[in-house]
Amino acid sequence: MLRLERFSCGYGLFRAVSELELEVPHGTITGLIGPNGAGKSSTLMCVAGHVNLLAGSIVFDELDIGGLPATERVRRGIAIAPEGRRLFKDLSVEDNLRVGGLIHPAGRFKADRDYVLSLFPRLGERLGSLAANLSGGEQQMLSIGRALMARPKLIMIDELSLGLMPKMVDLCYDALLRLKQDGMTILLVEQNTDRVLSVADHVCVLESGHAVWSGNAADARNDPTLAAAYLGLH
Amino acid sequence: MLYVELIAQGLIQGSIYALIALGLTLVYGLLRILHVAHAAFFTLGGYVGVVVANQTGSLAAAIVAAMIVAGLGGIVVFRLCYQPILHQPPFVPLIASIGLYIAAEELFRIVFGPSGLTYKYAFLQGEVELLGFLRFKTGELVVVFGSAAIIGVLSLLQTRTRIGVACQATVSDPQMAESFGISLSRVGDINFFVGSALAAFAGVMVSVLNNMVEPTMGSVPSYKALAIIVLGGLGSVRGTLVAALVLGVVESFGTIYLGHFLDRNAIAFAFLILVLMWRPQGLFARS
Ligand SMILES: Nc1ncnc2c1ncn2[C@@H]1O[C@H](COP(=O)(O)OP(=O)(O)O)[C@@H](O)[C@H]1O
Ligand SMILES: [Mg+2]
Repeated sequence: MLRLERFSCGYGLFRAVSELELEVPHGTITGLIGPNGAGKSSTLMCVAGHVNLLAGSIVFDELDIGGLPATERVRRGIAIAPEGRRLFKDLSVEDNLRVGGLIHPAGRFKADRDYVLSLFPRLGERLGSLAANLSGGEQQMLSIGRALMARPKLIMIDELSLGLMPKMVDLCYDALLRLKQDGMTILLVEQNTDRVLSVADHVCVLESGHAVWSGNAADARNDPTLAAAYLGLH
Repeated sequence: MLYVELIAQGLIQGSIYALIALGLTLVYGLLRILHVAHAAFFTLGGYVGVVVANQTGSLAAAIVAAMIVAGLGGIVVFRLCYQPILHQPPFVPLIASIGLYIAAEELFRIVFGPSGLTYKYAFLQGEVELLGFLRFKTGELVVVFGSAAIIGVLSLLQTRTRIGVACQATVSDPQMAESFGISLSRVGDINFFVGSALAAFAGVMVSVLNNMVEPTMGSVPSYKALAIIVLGGLGSVRGTLVAALVLGVVESFGTIYLGHFLDRNAIAFAFLILVLMWRPQGLFARS
């Protein structure tokens, strides 16, 4: 579904990610993991259209989308729940969801919102609250929900569990599994590797802008060198 | 009695300030630019208003024409003058904006002459008595209730429509708004259209009340509106509205009690300086 080929991105002359090869097959959960500063967020934001693609290509549904503006990429079916969540803080929960679904006709809103609320029932109790007044976990749910309102084919989630209470992390991961059952393709960035390895089908380990390992999550779990070098930290 | 009258006069002046300053706030909130040239649309509104009114004899037609022309002009300025230099440091658009304002003033002078235009018909000059002791020109009441109505409708549109919510989202996080398909250019067009049209409405009303349109009529409102949006806590719409009304009232009391040694504009800026010494972030800045 999404394929990055010899993908390099960065800021001005600075390359945050070099020569990355990444394949996110349809209907899977792919984990992109690695230490702070490895280039995970840059990769997602580049796929979303906000960070410069310096070389290589971004192929989505067999089309090279590297030259499209961000507004067009969401229409093609890529939505993001970015690092730091970046909700529209002075809008209500419901209006955040409304913005998520703006590319679709207004008539779709209720049904799409109800789908998101079935994944995250807690949001249903807070529809009128300002996004700024939600707890961290609720904000993450809203960020994912807002992205889902675009009815994407691929959802990219950055640092899902960062700063959340364990119980909230559980709820979010449950939702991911349900999304996968419903046919969603998920690209998940985490520093919390244990969690990713337990749900992902594939993982790619990024360090200093380079992929140092990629393959099946099951193999990653059983690879002793990998565990010692990158995953044992957690 | 005097107090009530002063407050009423202050609110009349304050609603004119609010109409002008709102456009500045909208632009600042969206683009982080101090849109000094905004006051040119106040003047443009005055000129379109007087020309159309004198041709047609209809003030309503004059107001509508002025708002539409200024609104479209706002879009042109956004697209041609600001959008190409948005990625530059903030002083670049600021200087462009000051240059644009000066150019606009000269353009009005060249096109309409230096001495100003007057209305052929006496619009809204009748007097109305309220509560038995307050006397207003009809035009003054039209300013107050007209601006309240327009601003009320706009705020409903902003919170109740998809486009309004999209505009709010864009102000809150432009990049994420784009990631949900919102075009920053389109939101810019809307903000510039609305802001410029409001300034034009103010321009028509002020020119009707004074029966005079001059090339320089925008310069005092221009810097006063800047003061108001600073006072209101840059980018806050509600803060701007309150600050505009407060400044109107302060000026109206000030001219009575301090008028013999400070003129109206000096009072306004003395007040601004005092407030900023006490609250540098403005009266209503969010924490
Ligand atoms: N806006 C930016 N401008 C310049 N450099 C940046 C920017 N954002 C991130 N970087 C740099 O890019 C590299 C990768 O960062 P990032 O993608 O945020 O890593 P991760 O998400 O894996 O922690 C880091 O060296 C970081 O300093
Ligand atoms: Mg990151």
